[in-house]
Amino acid sequence: MKLFTLLLVFITTPVFAGMNHGGMIMDETGMIMNHNPDVLPKDCPKISKEVDLTIRAGHKFTQGFAGKMFTYDKRDWQVPGCARVNVTFINEDEIRHQFMIHGLPGYMYPKGMFTIEIYGKGQKTASFIVPSRDYTYYIHCEVSQHTEKGMKAQLKVGEGSGDLDSILGLSAPLTPDSYPINNTSITWLSLAFSFLLGIALILFLSDLIRQKLKS
Amino acid sequence: MSHKRLYYQLILITVLLIALAIWQLPDFFQRNAGINLPKGVTPQFNQTLKIDKPCVDLHPEWRNAQRIDGVKMAESRLCEPDNPFDVAAFVLGMNHISMSTLMNTNIAEDALTKSDDLDGDGDPDIIRIKLEVLELNGATPDSPNVFPQYEIAPGIQPGLWAFSPKLRGMSVKNFRSQKPNAILRAPSPVIRVEKGDKVYITLENTHYFPHTIHFHGVDHAFKTSQGGDNDGVPITGEKAVMPGKTRTYELQPRHAGTMLYHCHVQTDKHLMMGLVGMFVVEENRPNNWVQTFNVGAGHVRYSSAAIKEKYDREYDLHYQSIDKNLAKTIQQSNDIREISKQMHRVYNMSESNENYFMLNGHSFPYTLRDSIIVAKQNENIKLRVANTQHSNIAVHIHGHKATITDYDGVEQNPAAQITRDVFSIAAAQRLDLKLQTTDDGLHSYGEGVWLFHDHVETAVSNDGMGPGGNIALLVYENMLTSIGLPILRKDALDDVFSNRFYAKKQVLWGKNEAGKFPPNMLHLILFGLLLGAIVGLIFFIFRGLSKAD
Repeated sequence: MKLFTLLLVFITTPVFAGMNHGGMIMDETGMIMNHNPDVLPKDCPKISKEVDLTIRAGHKFTQGFAGKMFTYDKRDWQVPGCARVNVTFINEDEIRHQFMIHGLPGYMYPKGMFTIEIYGKGQKTASFIVPSRDYTYYIHCEVSQHTEKGMKAQLKVGEGSGDLDSILGLSAPLTPDSYPINNTSITWLSLAFSFLLGIALILFLSDLIRQKLKS
Repeated sequence: MSHKRLYYQLILITVLLIALAIWQLPDFFQRNAGINLPKGVTPQFNQTLKIDKPCVDLHPEWRNAQRIDGVKMAESRLCEPDNPFDVAAFVLGMNHISMSTLMNTNIAEDALTKSDDLDGDGDPDIIRIKLEVLELNGATPDSPNVFPQYEIAPGIQPGLWAFSPKLRGMSVKNFRSQKPNAILRAPSPVIRVEKGDKVYITLENTHYFPHTIHFHGVDHAFKTSQGGDNDGVPITGEKAVMPGKTRTYELQPRHAGTMLYHCHVQTDKHLMMGLVGMFVVEENRPNNWVQTFNVGAGHVRYSSAAIKEKYDREYDLHYQSIDKNLAKTIQQSNDIREISKQMHRVYNMSESNENYFMLNGHSFPYTLRDSIIVAKQNENIKLRVANTQHSNIAVHIHGHKATITDYDGVEQNPAAQITRDVFSIAAAQRLDLKLQTTDDGLHSYGEGVWLFHDHVETAVSNDGMGPGGNIALLVYENMLTSIGLPILRKDALDDVFSNRFYAKKQVLWGKNEAGKFPPNMLHLILFGLLLGAIVGLIFFIFRGLSKAD
C-alpha cells in the first residue's frame, strides 16, 4: 500500500516516461528507434550528402489507388551511399502510423531497423546514416494490415538493388488478385469481326500474289 | 466378289471380338474384393508435416509470483503465462510504470492512463483506454500465405479480428518471422474497471473497415457529455468510426458485474470475426487498482480487492466460434472493396456454420498452453464465463459441481443460487461461477486432471476433427509439471499436436487406411490389344469394301 500512496503523489498529473533508452526516444506521442545522426557506417569515411526527406502518412494519400486504405505520400526515394537521411515523418491520421526501415547494418542499428512511430496526428524528425553499397531498403508501417493495404515503400541507396514488390503505383504484387473480365456482346463481335477480317486478308493477299505471278 | 466375302467374314469376326471385349471389360475404377482386401496405405499429406511441442517454454521466469513496479501479482503456472510486465502496466497505467517495464511490453505509452483519485480511497478513478483493431491471418500481397500467422490449433489459421490495447513497435517477433508477438492475439482483451470509475474508451480505428464499440450490459448514457454517440450503433447514433479516425466513449458504471463490449457495425459478421470481448466492472474498494486488460482472457494475475476477499483465484473464460467461410473472406484478396463485398454481401450469415470453437482464442490442444484452470483442494475459484458464439454452450466441468452466483452481471439471491454440472449459456450471456474444490462428493470428487468443455458436441472438434474445439482442463497443482502441462500418459498428446491430425490425414488407432486396389495390368493389356484389333479390323474392312467397289 505504501507504493500506491507514493504513486498517488503523481496521480493528479499524468507522468509519462519521456527519455532515451537503449536507442529508443519515447513519449506519449510516439517513439523513435535507433536515431543516428553521427555514427558512420564502417564503409563510409564521411557523410557524402545531407538529405532531408519529409514523409507524410495517412488514409488520404491512397486517393487514386483503388482498393487500398493507408499509404505514404511518396513510396520511392533515392539517396547516395553514405548519406545522412533526416526524416521528418508527419502522420495526418488520428491513429498510429510508422516509418520503419529494415536491412540497415545490425552492428549500429539493433535488429537492422530505424523507426519513427507516431501515435496520432503529429510529426517527428530523426536521422540515420546509410552504408555505401547499392541496395533497396524496405520501408513499411507494421500496424496490423497497413503494409498489406498500401503502406509499403522503398529507399534506394546509390543505384539500389531493384524494385521491391507490391509498392503502390510502382510495382506489381507478388501474389496478385485476379479479377473477372467484363465481356459484353461487343467483345465477341470484335472477335468474330477480326476473325473474318483475317480470312479476308489472306484471300486478298493470295489474289494479289496470283495476279503478280501471272503478269 | 470373293474379296467381298472375305470382308463379310471379317465383319462377323469383328462382332465376335466386340462381344469378347464387352465380356472382358476390366474394372477400371473400382471392383469388389475377393478373398483378399487391399493391403492398405498411409494417407497422403501434401503440407509440410509439423509436430509442435506441447509447450514451448519461452518465458519460464514469467510464471513466478512477482512484484514489478510495486505490483504484486499471482503466480501463473501455465505453459504460456501472461507477460508480468504487461500485467504491471495494466494495473498501474502506462503513466506510472518504469522505463524498464515499458521496454518489456509492446504497448503504446498513451494506451492506458490512470489518474485522479476522485473519491479519495487510494486508487485512480479516471481511466483513459485506447483500443486498436487487429487482423490476424489476413491476406498479404507479398506471399501466398496469410499474415501474421496466428494458429488457433496446429495448422489452423482462420482469418480473425480482435480489439487490442494500443500497441507500439513491431508486430512480429522479428523481421524474418511471420508469427505475431504474444500480445497480438484473439480474443479481444477483457477490460476491467472499478465501479464508479470515469472511463474514457477511445476506439482508434487502425483497420480498413469502419467499426464502433457498443457496451453490452455496462452502465453508460446514450450520449456522451458532449452529446456524441455513446451506444455505438450507427442506426441510432453517429456514423461508424471510419479507418484512420477515432471516437471516445464515456462510462461511469454504477453497477458491478461481468458484461461485454463489441463492434456494432455489420454486427453479425464483425462480432463473429472476433470484435467482441468481456467487460468486467469490479466492486469499489479502497486501494483497488484493477488489471485493466486481461490480454487473451484466462487467468487473472491481479484480481480486484473484492474478488480477493472471497476467492483464491479468478479466470475469465471467453467462448467464441468461427465460420470458416466467413474467416476466408479476408484471406482471398488485398482489395478492400473485394473483401467488403465477399464479407458483407456474398457471404450469407443466415446460411452460416460454426466450424472452429475457441476458448480464450485457442482451440484444443493449444488451450492446454494458456487455458488450464489450476486449483488446489479447498479453494474458491471465480470463473467468469461469456458466450460470444451464435450457438448455445453447455459447459461441463468433469468431477465438479459449481454454483451460479451471477447471471449477466447481476447477483442471484444467495438462497436461490443453483449448483449444477452443466451451465447453459445462450449467445452473449454471461455466468459467474463459484467453483469449490472441496472434496465432499458434491462440489468436487477430489484431485485430478479434469476435462472441462462445452457439451454441445459440435464444439469439441476443429472443423469436425476431434478432440479439439473448446476442450480445456482443470488441473490440481500437484498434477502439473514445472512447465505448466498436466501429468498425462506419455503418448497422450502425440497425435493432436501435429498438423496432419487436424488436416484429417492421421489414421486413428493404427497405421493404414484401406486405400485402393492396384490395377490388374495383364487384364488391362489384353483388353487394350483386343480394342486395338477391333479398330484395326474396322478400318481394314472399310477400306477393303470401298476399293472392292
